[in-house]
Amino acid sequence: MVDRGRHRRCVVRSLPRGERELTGPAPSAPDERVIEARGITKGFDGALALDNVDLDLWRGEVHALLGENGAGKTTLSNVMAGIYRADSGVVLVDGVEHHFRSPAQAIEAGIGMVHQHFRLIQPMTVAENVHLGWDDTPRFISTRTLVDRTERLMSEFGVHVDPNAEIWQLSVGEQQRVEILRTLARGARVLILDEPTAVLTAQQAKELFSVMRSLVAGGRTVVFISHKLNEVLEVSDRITVLRDGRRIITRDAAGATARELARLMTGEDRDFEVKSRGRAGDRPLLQVVGATARSARGLVALHDITLTVHAGEIVGIAGVSGNGQTELAEVVTGLRRTDSGRVLIDGVDLTDASPRRFAQAGVGHIPEDRLGVGLVPSAQVRDNAVLHQYWQPELSGKVSLKRGPISEFATRLVSSARVQTRSIHSPVGHLSGGNQQRLIAGREAMVASRVFIAAHPTRGLDVHSTEDVRRSLLDRRDAGCAVLLISDDLDEVLLISDRVAVMYEGRLVGEFRREDADRQRIGLLMGGHVAPASEEAAP
Amino acid sequence: MSSVSDAGHTRRSVHLERRLHVEPRRAALVRLLGVATALLIAGVFLQVTGRSAFALAGEVIRSTFGQRRGLEETAVIATPILLDAIAVAIALRMRIWNIGAEGQFYIGAWAAAGIGIHFNLPTPLLLLMMAGAGVIGGALWILVPAIARAHWNVNEIITTLLLNFVAVTWVEWFSIDIWRDKQAAVIQATPLVNARLPGLFGSTTLHAGFLLPLALAVVAWFVFRNTRWGFEVDMIGGNPRAAEFAGINVRRRIVTVMLISGAIAGLSGMVHLAGAAGRLQGTISNSYGFSGFIVAALAGGSFVGLVAGGLFIALLLHSGILLQTAGLSIYIVLAIYGLVLVGIAVAGGRSSLAGPPGETLP
Repeated sequence: MVDRGRHRRCVVRSLPRGERELTGPAPSAPDERVIEARGITKGFDGALALDNVDLDLWRGEVHALLGENGAGKTTLSNVMAGIYRADSGVVLVDGVEHHFRSPAQAIEAGIGMVHQHFRLIQPMTVAENVHLGWDDTPRFISTRTLVDRTERLMSEFGVHVDPNAEIWQLSVGEQQRVEILRTLARGARVLILDEPTAVLTAQQAKELFSVMRSLVAGGRTVVFISHKLNEVLEVSDRITVLRDGRRIITRDAAGATARELARLMTGEDRDFEVKSRGRAGDRPLLQVVGATARSARGLVALHDITLTVHAGEIVGIAGVSGNGQTELAEVVTGLRRTDSGRVLIDGVDLTDASPRRFAQAGVGHIPEDRLGVGLVPSAQVRDNAVLHQYWQPELSGKVSLKRGPISEFATRLVSSARVQTRSIHSPVGHLSGGNQQRLIAGREAMVASRVFIAAHPTRGLDVHSTEDVRRSLLDRRDAGCAVLLISDDLDEVLLISDRVAVMYEGRLVGEFRREDADRQRIGLLMGGHVAPASEEAAP
Repeated sequence: MSSVSDAGHTRRSVHLERRLHVEPRRAALVRLLGVATALLIAGVFLQVTGRSAFALAGEVIRSTFGQRRGLEETAVIATPILLDAIAVAIALRMRIWNIGAEGQFYIGAWAAAGIGIHFNLPTPLLLLMMAGAGVIGGALWILVPAIARAHWNVNEIITTLLLNFVAVTWVEWFSIDIWRDKQAAVIQATPLVNARLPGLFGSTTLHAGFLLPLALAVVAWFVFRNTRWGFEVDMIGGNPRAAEFAGINVRRRIVTVMLISGAIAGLSGMVHLAGAAGRLQGTISNSYGFSGFIVAALAGGSFVGLVAGGLFIALLLHSGILLQTAGLSIYIVLAIYGLVLVGIAVAGGRSSLAGPPGETLP
């Protein structure tokens, strides 16, 4: 939990009011309404994305909009932020009716939105990006004035990034802070964050939450769009649940439970349960022996990793992102060369073999970067469905593709993996994130006859997609595969793994059987704290 | 939205229909609209400046479609443009921009001329050797850009573009000096090559080379539709990292595709030399490589659209010659040509941006 009191104090200290007044009046009673949306309805091509939705936002609250993909969270926010115009319904700001025709008009009224995909210019500095396209930017500028102004804004809002850094040098979390600063600088009293944690690591998310708390302590309102229940419960004051374009409930976060919210979101009382545990066989299907490898930047990212996954078990790798997990997944799928060490698949040495050899040996891989590595967004669902196995004799001859069997394969995969698409000929880039991941998980499960590697397989997915993807891992395990799950979501690792290893700075720093896994100890190891008692240390 | 699989076979076949037939038709229609708009603007302009647009248009139509010769001349112009367009389009499938088709055309023509001048062999054999020389010459001319792009990610747009200037100068040097025809003192060109492509349907203008781009377009269409190789090239074009993930050897494919592209452009030089020009000279290409590039870029990777577009551009160029004989300044002709290209580009860009309506719900 974020300590709210502490942050409030923080803000008081870091708010020099001399330079520039906060746009809104001083913080007041928590139930003062800043925005009232009344009966918002919006349709796309005949389908209702929003159906008569009401929403009140209060001054000084973090208000979570919770819902599955396609529930209408982003559409509602886009209406409030002037990006879409509602088919019917009104938005009142401070009791005055507004009909925004553009985001500029919304920000003038004090409503600003930070999108999932950032709109920053990579080769320009933070200070330049903050001042770009802003009416308040002085006519005559120097680097000096821009940096000074940016620093003043940062201390006013309690959001800190190096103003001289160029955007590409920043982490995703820092880039997000620049976006937030840009929006606040333009006078946003209501800040809408669209799935802000989808791209963040757990640590970065924590930092974002403290920024959010300090903003509401300063009298602003933050709308937090998410489908991650734990995060919503952690940071919100009130929660509105949307489902299929309708508002289901608005309630205080205090006293809400994840289970109840999940039921409201999905409309079903389902709880993902792992009914059977894996029964590890004796056969080691994946063996990594003393592997060392470098990252794309040439730094040593894997130090002497030794790891074995047997048939019929799931081994979870816990750890904060960026501690070598990406490189580990790449080394055991042929996407990255090793400096030393060996990789064996079912006893056969495939060290530094090509990705094709690994696929032929029955290694399936859900890559961390779905759109960037796992899919060809502009290509049809059909082509993506066979991307990792089009060369198999059922799907193509030596030269020619078997177009009929490929279409049948894709149709079967779309149905068995429950991918929702208009047609197997739609471009994959048009599918929602959950459906893209279902397609990848289904496809890779079919490649994975021996070993299944899954890197952050449920990051950013809604409840249903998450369940489907986890189910595919469990199914493979039951079919006798060796499954390696890499995730920075410790709950997920503990939920479905049979063994858990912790990765820190390119090393495996601890290994536990699931029954003996101690969440607190794992958490400490993930943070780089001293190794636990020797009997649990990695072999 | 629902899963397609539930809908079964009938629904699937409906979607297949739509992609194969309706969407290209829409794309063609939009481009035609762009052409019509551009011609309308040009017509108004001509009318306002005191010329009769209708008379000129009538003249163009009469002398192009009204007589066999007009159509044949258009086809002769279309041949190298189409070949170069196919060369560029194959690389474009991989999102690689071969701006050097013009240079590869020159080197292909140069290599073919070298064989054609210096050897005196039975025509079929000599033609085959000349074609081989053209293919190899064009491929060699793109070899360095291809390797640089595949292994060091050097931007091929710059390397292929710059090599054009080298190629033109190289050919000029050979035509006015080394291989110059000493018997004909006036022209700055090589002697005639010793083998010419046969005429088509007994024509003295239209040569058999015209069939080559048509056949190649069909082959290319088939390769990208039905072969593993074509699929892999398309996947690399869509996302090289995903292609690597899928086990495709991306570097090797980049080199191969660029060499094929260069080879076809080189072949176009040979075909134009042996079919139409007869001699190598510094002005052997009337910017065919660049016109081919424009055609490929505007066709957006479709080989059917490319053939239609190439024939149309050839028609425009041919009309330009007629308009000049009708007393229209070369600058006005070029302006009309440019206007039409802009019309196609704007229309094409709009139609691809708009995309199929309602594909996604936000």
